[in-house]
Amino acid sequence: MWRFYLEVARTAFRRQLIYRWANLAGLMTNIFFGAVFSYVIIGLFHAHSAVNGYNVLDTLRYTWLVQSMIMIVLTFGWYDLMLTIRSGAVISDMSKPCDFYWYWFSRECGRDLYFLIYRGIPTYIAGILLFGLGVPGDWRYWPAFLLSLALGSCFGIAYRVLYNAIAFWFLEARGIGTMVVVVALFFTGSYVPVPLFPHWLLVIAQWLPFNALLNVPAEILLDNVPAGTIAFELARQFVWVIVFTLLVRLVIGRAARRVIVQGG
Amino acid sequence: MAIIADKATYRRTIDNVLSDIRLYFRLIWMQIRSQGQYKADMFVNIGTYFLTTSLEFAAVFLYFANFSTLLGWNVGEVAMLYAVTSIGFGFSEMFGAGLDIFPDTIRLGEFDRVLLRPVSALIQIASSDFRLRRLGRITQGIVALFIATAFLPAFHWTLLKVAAMCIGIASGTILFLSVWLLGATMCFWTVEPTELVNILTYGGRDMLSYPLNIYNQVMQRIFLFVVPLAFGTFVPVSYMLEKSLPFGLPNNLVFASPAVAIAFFLAARAIWQFGVRRYQSTGS
Repeated sequence: MWRFYLEVARTAFRRQLIYRWANLAGLMTNIFFGAVFSYVIIGLFHAHSAVNGYNVLDTLRYTWLVQSMIMIVLTFGWYDLMLTIRSGAVISDMSKPCDFYWYWFSRECGRDLYFLIYRGIPTYIAGILLFGLGVPGDWRYWPAFLLSLALGSCFGIAYRVLYNAIAFWFLEARGIGTMVVVVALFFTGSYVPVPLFPHWLLVIAQWLPFNALLNVPAEILLDNVPAGTIAFELARQFVWVIVFTLLVRLVIGRAARRVIVQGG
Repeated sequence: MAIIADKATYRRTIDNVLSDIRLYFRLIWMQIRSQGQYKADMFVNIGTYFLTTSLEFAAVFLYFANFSTLLGWNVGEVAMLYAVTSIGFGFSEMFGAGLDIFPDTIRLGEFDRVLLRPVSALIQIASSDFRLRRLGRITQGIVALFIATAFLPAFHWTLLKVAAMCIGIASGTILFLSVWLLGATMCFWTVEPTELVNILTYGGRDMLSYPLNIYNQVMQRIFLFVVPLAFGTFVPVSYMLEKSLPFGLPNNLVFASPAVAIAFFLAARAIWQFGVRRYQSTGS
């Protein structure tokens, strides 16, 4: 069976390869926003040398890491599943002799891998060229970073399938979809880096599930997590992945029992 | 543009513009009524949009939790800049929203039908996707304006400052609308990289929510002299807050904003009309 899921992932990866222009335009957008945030950060650090252990270079690296990873972990405006629910096509996916969630999970894994190679890495290279970021982190942090990024992506997939599943109950749920994505991105540092949050909000953000998306991988790579607590951070990410995967499977199970497709 | 020879042609031009405007509001009114049929959906949509934009605004305050100044701008001042930018952008997004989905209109071949009707294509397109939920951003911008003034105890409104703000918002609306229009025009040549326009619209909005002087000189020049979005955002707010403009520009340049905005809009419209003339349907 895993061969089938692997093939689904590979197909999704290849399908993404067709959208060359769209990816280039998206890349430009990531770079533009990275540059805007960078100028804001440079302007703010003009009168300060370091905040919560972050100096201007660390903060710039954090921002560019976020811009590089954002399309991998949580795509903005992803309504692929929601649209199949609206059109009724969802039923053909549900009738496939495979698990509905693992089917979507494999598809999204293929896409995530595509965005890692064709979006994430080029974005960060642009940051290196424009703002002299250099390659972050000790090589010893890289395995932990990659593991953390993989966990963040798994969480992201569960999360996006979950908010798309709202469409089983409300047909037009795109407004809600946008909001839950913005909330998640906000609390994982895509607007303001989490390490710059005031202390009370920092504590809240660290215990929210969204921390698993971007903040944990970025902080691990930037060596802001003490070596002893890396295992704890990874474990906390892992728990969120399990919790949300179970939750989304429960929701889909509920929906599957009540879904009615209008024929004709 | 045709030279207006006599009173009768002049009258006719005015009548045409007025009837276009009447038609535009009528088309929008139809959409408002249809969206009003689903009241719960409408309020949920406006509410979620309001919350989404509020988080953006909260980000401004979060930055200033640890930092006192952004190159001489304090939190209240940046908040005011954010508010004015947001309101201008919100109006442009509400009035010109059909331009946003123009790539789909072209791809589906619906633009052919638009051209067949005996009314301005621009009016039909601009009014084709009116969404009340966009009131969420405008409301949020107005709330942001009040919050900003609460953080600026030394700030006092004068008649000229109110005028500068109104001029700024109106010019901002026209300027952002022109950028939407330029983006839509691109679709006549290619329907592929239309996301690039988002850099100028959403990107321009986010960028101009922070003081222009933090960016590098090339970017400053672009947003002042090439795509003059700063005239609807940074220039009026600098006047209101009595801050100096970059490149030694005089502060009351704000009163030239409407002229700049209209000139830019006319340029954008000329390009659009050129595009419409050379448009060949995608066929099926």
